Amino acid sequence: MRLLNVTAFFFAITSALLLYGLNYDTRRLEDEVQAKEHAAELARNDIAVLKAERGNLARPDRIDALARHLGLMPPRPEQYQTGREVSELNDRQENADGRR
Amino acid sequence: MAVVEGDAAIQRPRDGDVPRQRQTRRLTETGVFAVLFFAFAEVAIQLVTLALSHQPNVTLALSEPVATSFSRPDIVDRNGRLLATDLQAPSIFADPGVVLDRDELVEKLITVLPDLDAADLRRALSDRSRRFVWVRRGVSPKTAQMVHDLGLPGLSFRYELKRAYPAGALAGHVLGSVNVDNRGVNGIEKYIDDKIGVDPVHAATLSTRAPVRLSLDIGVQHALEDELDDAVEHYETDGAAGLVLNVKTGEVLASASLPRVDPAWPGKYLDEKHIDRMTGGTYELGSVFKTLTIAMAFDEGLAKPETIIDVRQPLEAGRFTVKDFHPAGRPLSVAEVFTHSSNVGAGMLALQAGPEKLQGFLRKLGMLDPLNVAGASVVAPQVPPAWNRAATITVSYGHGIAEAPLQFAAAAATVLNGGKRVQPTFLRKFETGEAVGKPLITATTSRQMAQLMRLNVTSPDGTGGQADVPGYRVGGKTGTADVPDRGGYASKSVISSFLAAFPMDDPQYLTFVILFEPKGVASTGGRHTAGTNAAPVTGRLIARIAGELGVAPMNTIASQ
Repeated sequence: MRLLNVTAFFFAITSALLLYGLNYDTRRLEDEVQAKEHAAELARNDIAVLKAERGNLARPDRIDALARHLGLMPPRPEQYQTGREVSELNDRQENADGRR
Repeated sequence: MAVVEGDAAIQRPRDGDVPRQRQTRRLTETGVFAVLFFAFAEVAIQLVTLALSHQPNVTLALSEPVATSFSRPDIVDRNGRLLATDLQAPSIFADPGVVLDRDELVEKLITVLPDLDAADLRRALSDRSRRFVWVRRGVSPKTAQMVHDLGLPGLSFRYELKRAYPAGALAGHVLGSVNVDNRGVNGIEKYIDDKIGVDPVHAATLSTRAPVRLSLDIGVQHALEDELDDAVEHYETDGAAGLVLNVKTGEVLASASLPRVDPAWPGKYLDEKHIDRMTGGTYELGSVFKTLTIAMAFDEGLAKPETIIDVRQPLEAGRFTVKDFHPAGRPLSVAEVFTHSSNVGAGMLALQAGPEKLQGFLRKLGMLDPLNVAGASVVAPQVPPAWNRAATITVSYGHGIAEAPLQFAAAAATVLNGGKRVQPTFLRKFETGEAVGKPLITATTSRQMAQLMRLNVTSPDGTGGQADVPGYRVGGKTGTADVPDRGGYASKSVISSFLAAFPMDDPQYLTFVILFEPKGVASTGGRHTAGTNAAPVTGRLIARIAGELGVAPMNTIASQ
């Protein structure tokens, strides 16, 4: 009877200690998960801000002004060439270079 | 102890009471223990209940309900370029119970937020029973830091979602705006609330929904707005509107209305002058309407392009006499009626068809019923109350019937799309399949109309010559409509418009430019007709966007 009591007591103490440890482990893991989630949330917000900033920097009126400042302008119809014209241009260039 | 018992014994009247008193005492003890037991049991039950109903997020316990905010999906253009997104922004609130010096707080806040309503805030703060008063929602992080640095007790911050529009006022009318709770109020933002969905959030949690992809191309949109800006300045107009529509799919590539609105400052959306003139207002569009009248005449088999009409006599229409702006003084072919923009000719064609056929044709093209467009609300057309002789004549050249320009553009696109209905949309279409359904007009009529529109630009006496862009086969029709005034029409103010499409051998894109009350300036020789203002604006616009839209220019000589 006494042995049973001692064993039971021993088991009770051991399981209490184990539970205590497990409890702390769980809390630590929970904290870690929360920290990770928080970091992910921050990263998501940073991405949103960066996306908005990129959108703001790439807005067409700004690019337009910058491009014109560099001396660029919308393409004129005569600047387009058909595929054949381009390949002919290429051939002529190669002939001139003496590659043929 | 004995003395006490003795005293007690003296006070007791009889010895026989002792066992009864013991019994009473035991009962009392049991009672006390029972009460204690139940109290502890109650505590234990409460603890267990709390432990089971564990809530991970601490909810704000305030005496006033905190307004819920909404997280919204991003809005991007057809190529995925960002037009609207949610950002976290601090909001400032005050707890009147904790505020020490109300006047000091308001005075110091004014230094950072000069446009704050001081009297309103003072009144809100004077109510000590309240625990929560918004001071300003959605400020920039910098402003929040400045307010924080004031070190005022009773002020706190809360992160909320705030809508940001990285492209500024670009496509402001199409995008619409949101209110302070991040709910859509108009435009695409309202459409998102109604049809796509937003998620209520307490904290500033970004939306996980996929972005809403619009049909707009911000490059084309910018080109359109830029050209309209120039037009407003150059022709001293009262406003302008423009549209670029894909004829094959109905996708709106650009839609602008000037004066523009900035989605970040939604107050202006309610202003009469700032309405979206493309969808939110109806106008008598004038001669551009002849495109539909003549299409009807062709489609009903009443005329061919070479049919001759005698337009020398003015038409009597009730109280009015319909005359031509530039009378030709000779009979004109139907093609010439179009290129000379003869009101009499259009009126005669409409009379020949009769009100029923004209009405039926317009109804078929969706001109007489409200138009449903995904992503915008289009105001219903104003049609004549009775289709008598006068109405038939005036409608034939675009008076007496007022339409939202987008609705007219959709009908014109249907005519150019081989008769297949063009349903405008502000959302990107992914299925490439052609529109199904019976063509509303014959392919022949459609081709004839495309040829007439091209002729109006190439022929020396056509009204649209200034819209031509070498290589891109532009075709179009001018419209110079009188503006309704008290009891009639104003003599000096007009709405000048140009409906165009390109390339005319197989129309892909339709543009519609409208200038409101342009003045006659030096470059137009003092005239304010569409051929001198809206047409050249269209030409410049098409020259700028055609390449971007993937329309290959033809050999300049071959294209004429």
